[in-house]
Amino acid sequence: MRRVAFFAAALVATLTTLGFLVLPVVAIFTHVSPVTLVRQLSNPVVDDALVVSAKTTFLAQALVLLLGTPTAYLLATRRFRGRSLVVTAVELPLVLPPAVAGIGLLVAFGRMGLLHTSVPFTQTAVTLAVAFVSGPLYVRAAIAAFEAVDPALVDAARTLGAGPARTFLRVAVPLAGGGLAAGEALAFARGLGEFGATIMFAGSLQHVTQTLPLAIYAAFDVDFDVTLAIGGVLVLISAAVLVALKLATSWTLSLQTSGFRFAPSTSN
Amino acid sequence: MRRLGVLVLVAGAIAAGSASAAGHVTLTVYAASSLTDVLPRVDPGERYSFGGSNTLAAQITQGAPADIFASANLTIPEQLYAKGLVTRPYVLTHNTLVLILPRANPARIHSVTDLRKPDVKIVIAGPAVPVGAYTLQVLKTMRMTDVLDNVVSREADVRDVLAKVALGEADAGFVYATDARTVPKKVTVLRLPVWARPNVAYGIAVVAASKHRAAATAYLKMLLGKRAQTTFRSYGFLPRRTPG
Repeated sequence: MRRVAFFAAALVATLTTLGFLVLPVVAIFTHVSPVTLVRQLSNPVVDDALVVSAKTTFLAQALVLLLGTPTAYLLATRRFRGRSLVVTAVELPLVLPPAVAGIGLLVAFGRMGLLHTSVPFTQTAVTLAVAFVSGPLYVRAAIAAFEAVDPALVDAARTLGAGPARTFLRVAVPLAGGGLAAGEALAFARGLGEFGATIMFAGSLQHVTQTLPLAIYAAFDVDFDVTLAIGGVLVLISAAVLVALKLATSWTLSLQTSGFRFAPSTSN
Repeated sequence: MRRLGVLVLVAGAIAAGSASAAGHVTLTVYAASSLTDVLPRVDPGERYSFGGSNTLAAQITQGAPADIFASANLTIPEQLYAKGLVTRPYVLTHNTLVLILPRANPARIHSVTDLRKPDVKIVIAGPAVPVGAYTLQVLKTMRMTDVLDNVVSREADVRDVLAKVALGEADAGFVYATDARTVPKKVTVLRLPVWARPNVAYGIAVVAASKHRAAATAYLKMLLGKRAQTTFRSYGFLPRRTPG
């Protein structure tokens, strides 16, 4: 009897959770018909925001991958004094409120800031804000991915004559690939949704710094249809990222199970 | 069971507390961000939410639990009145638009026409925000809409414009005279020619869905009264011209 009661309670909780989480997403699509959504895609506000978001996200994620991957590799494979301090510093932006990140970027890179640059209000500012808030997500995941690589394989590559750079590129990165991709998917999604740091550091100007989330905010009290349409677009992109994430994760699993068979042959 | 007892006790205490304070209803006041400093000074006993008047109006339209709506123009409350969302708006006070520059004045701006210089970074409010609409009106009257090419950001409310200029990140911005007064050490004020100044009138109304309409009406009357209006004046607002 008790078992049934517990099961019933859990079922009710699950259904409530599911309903609560799914309802807002469904509501967006009940308010905006596919026709409106497609038509709004040619609205200049939506169009410009898509372009700005695509450009800045691409640049920011390139930055995150290029700088984040070696950083994570170093932090995962080396043990040195103050390492945990460095890791904490890298992770800090993750827990920082975005508005704090925005004001921090402003006093660091602003004209009156520490570095006296004229970055604010430019697309570079958007890119930096996105990289700042999304990068740590990737680095964290990448550290875990590199730590999970069997050190014996790395050692084997080194004893077989591969240099450290070659070992990193041809052994460590491919073996950690699934974890890296999963981390990047999360960073991409977080960066695409970036709002607080961007609006404070880069401002909001259509065609220049107004990303999709900023356009939602600007359109909210002007044209609710535009707001909903951009919302719909972002739901679709986010869903695609989630699917990609699932695929990346399953790829890691299959690599782990088949790693020994394939890893040596791919490293020539 | 014991925990439940504590809960009941706490709930009882809260109920008793609110009953003892029944003499005063705490109103929720949605007000234009340019009223951020003056309203709590006039009456600190209410709950205030400051923001762009257009954003607040959108929230009220979506059913936000406001009792009073004070907008930095008359158009928005009149639109809400036409939709039956607020009572007939009164004129609360007046203000004037000014051009502000950061104290260091890196772009060397000495008049409104200097805004035309290349690479001047101007910050204004979005066109739906009252102060943004007044800004466009001024530029149109002065036949200077070409300076819009120098706009680097369109902010959500007047205090965001003020902050970006006060920080020195923008070279110039249009705000109300009362906003500029809140950071006298950080910004320089350039007045606009009298013929180009827009008529900035604040509209205030009771929200139709308010559960405390009597208290809200009393609050509104109090704001239009002599004492409150003197406080408004001391913050740099202009006397009411239009009889409410």
